[in-house]
Amino acid sequence: MDIPQDNSIVSPQTFPYMVATFVSLVGFGLIVSVLRGKHGVPEGDEPGDPYTPLNWKTMAIVATAIGLHVVLLEIAGYVIAATVCFWGVAYAFGSRKIWKDLAISAIFAFIVYFSFSQGLNINLPSGFFEGILK
Amino acid sequence: MGNNFAMLMDGFQTVFTPTNLMFGLLGTFLGTLVGVLPGIGPALAIGLLLPITLTVNPTSALIMFAAIFYGAMYGGSTTSILLNTPGESGSVITALEGNKMAKAGRAGAALATAAIGSFVAGLIATILLAFGAPVLAEFALTIQPAGYLSLIILAFATVGTLLGTSRIRGLVALSTGLVIGLIGADLQSGALRLTFGNLNAIDGIETVTVIVAIFALGETLYLASRHTIVKASILQVNGKAWMTREDFRRSWKPWLRGTAIGFPLGVIPAGGSEVPTFLSYGVEKALSKHKDEFGKGAIEGVAGPEAANNANAAGVLVPMLALGLPTSATAAVVLVAFQSFNIQPGPMLFQTNPEIVWGLIASLFVGNFLLLVLNLPLIRFWVMLLKIPSHYLYAGITTFALLGAYALNNSTFDLQVALAVGVIGFLFRRFGVPITPLIIGAILGPLSELYFKRSLQISQGDWGILIDGTFPKVIYGILILVIIGPLVWNFKKTFALKK
Repeated sequence: MDIPQDNSIVSPQTFPYMVATFVSLVGFGLIVSVLRGKHGVPEGDEPGDPYTPLNWKTMAIVATAIGLHVVLLEIAGYVIAATVCFWGVAYAFGSRKIWKDLAISAIFAFIVYFSFSQGLNINLPSGFFEGILK
Repeated sequence: MGNNFAMLMDGFQTVFTPTNLMFGLLGTFLGTLVGVLPGIGPALAIGLLLPITLTVNPTSALIMFAAIFYGAMYGGSTTSILLNTPGESGSVITALEGNKMAKAGRAGAALATAAIGSFVAGLIATILLAFGAPVLAEFALTIQPAGYLSLIILAFATVGTLLGTSRIRGLVALSTGLVIGLIGADLQSGALRLTFGNLNAIDGIETVTVIVAIFALGETLYLASRHTIVKASILQVNGKAWMTREDFRRSWKPWLRGTAIGFPLGVIPAGGSEVPTFLSYGVEKALSKHKDEFGKGAIEGVAGPEAANNANAAGVLVPMLALGLPTSATAAVVLVAFQSFNIQPGPMLFQTNPEIVWGLIASLFVGNFLLLVLNLPLIRFWVMLLKIPSHYLYAGITTFALLGAYALNNSTFDLQVALAVGVIGFLFRRFGVPITPLIIGAILGPLSELYFKRSLQISQGDWGILIDGTFPKVIYGILILVIIGPLVWNFKKTFALKK
């Protein structure tokens, strides 16, 4: 990275202002186009296809599963975080074999944990299993 | 030219060491494996597999990437044909005719023409890449920063306006990407921008996190929100995946035509793999003697677009390697892979890292060949993968995407970013905003600022330098034609219709 002797030629604000102008123009254009009735159509749908209402419940479960993974990772370790996340997404997608899913989730998490930490030397938080697994 | 040939031979020597060959083989296997899974295109496949290469040496890792790259392309066509769920926009057309062929009990022929067509196209396109990219790189050495800036702006314009159905939504995606690219410390002055006091944001947002999250998490959230999980039926492959003499006779011309359409449209930033496959389909339909079969499973409609798709993917690597400009999501991920080893693709690459770039090109040849050998005999194995229930599939994709986002820096901040980007990806999908412009904006945004600043430093602050010289003028001229042309065309059409 070459460091310029004189920063006053282009301030670090110049380019962001250009981007900001562009964002404003595009945003304005989008508002105009939506007000003129050109609504966005979900990818893969054609304009005029019957509208499928969103299923907020299943979506919230997936988002929660991801959120729990983020929270649990450094507190409880990778295996637990990944098990919870895998199980949660599977549940959201309609699987109701709770115990079987739990087993599969745990096995998946264990395999990933081991192949990454042992095979590839990528350290993942071990959490509760600290000292037991290593 | 002769020199390049010698370099390529050296590249083959690099590839043909037992370790590198093993990584190549592993790459083809993993690439196909992930590519076959429905909903995962090549870009996401490479993004998900990126952490695997973190601890491998650069040459082996990039060889593995080349293999994953082609592997994911092959795998995607299998899913399109048997499941009718294209993993990316480039295979939409393949699904159209290929799935009809499979329903008519001709899955074997459809898979074979896709695989062999991809091989032929990949072979020709890689040869063109091997001899075209160094020439372009040599020319690129003469381009000034202002010229580069004009090229990036052209890429922004084409990627932003040609993808998807709505021009304004493409630009929305592009501007979102540009804003993401701004986050973090300014490279030259060190000024913190858009970090909002968060120390983790100083280094900026990881591009891999953005790519993996927007594809994997965005897709999962979107599918969950629609919940109508369609039980897609997997069509059986009866007999061998092979073609009759008649199939060959009808396929070879579409393969070559598809290559001729796909490669050039990859080299110039024409906006993704969608355009060439549609063009190829149109051409085959127009030229075919079996026009009545189109829409009911015409083999030409699989052969042409599949070849175009693969040739296009190889074509996109030309500006990626020679100029450092990715114009598709897949090329963007490959660029990120280079950067994770502190190698910057661009005109200097052929001089600073010849062993890596020629090793990569040679491994594209090897990977392409391995795939042809692996894919057709193993087709039953790949079909088994399609039987994974969708709830486990998306659970696996989500968990693995989060792992990829985390493993890069071992930081939970990246995971929070991933969740946020995943929500953006969901909103984009819901409201018909294309995703690729966001990725291109996030990657090329900082680069464009760099060239912008360099230009103005050269000229001591005179903005006139931005359009100084022949090269930027030519590029901006093309830009005006590309953007204004279709607008005038559309206006004329609506005007004529109103009359």
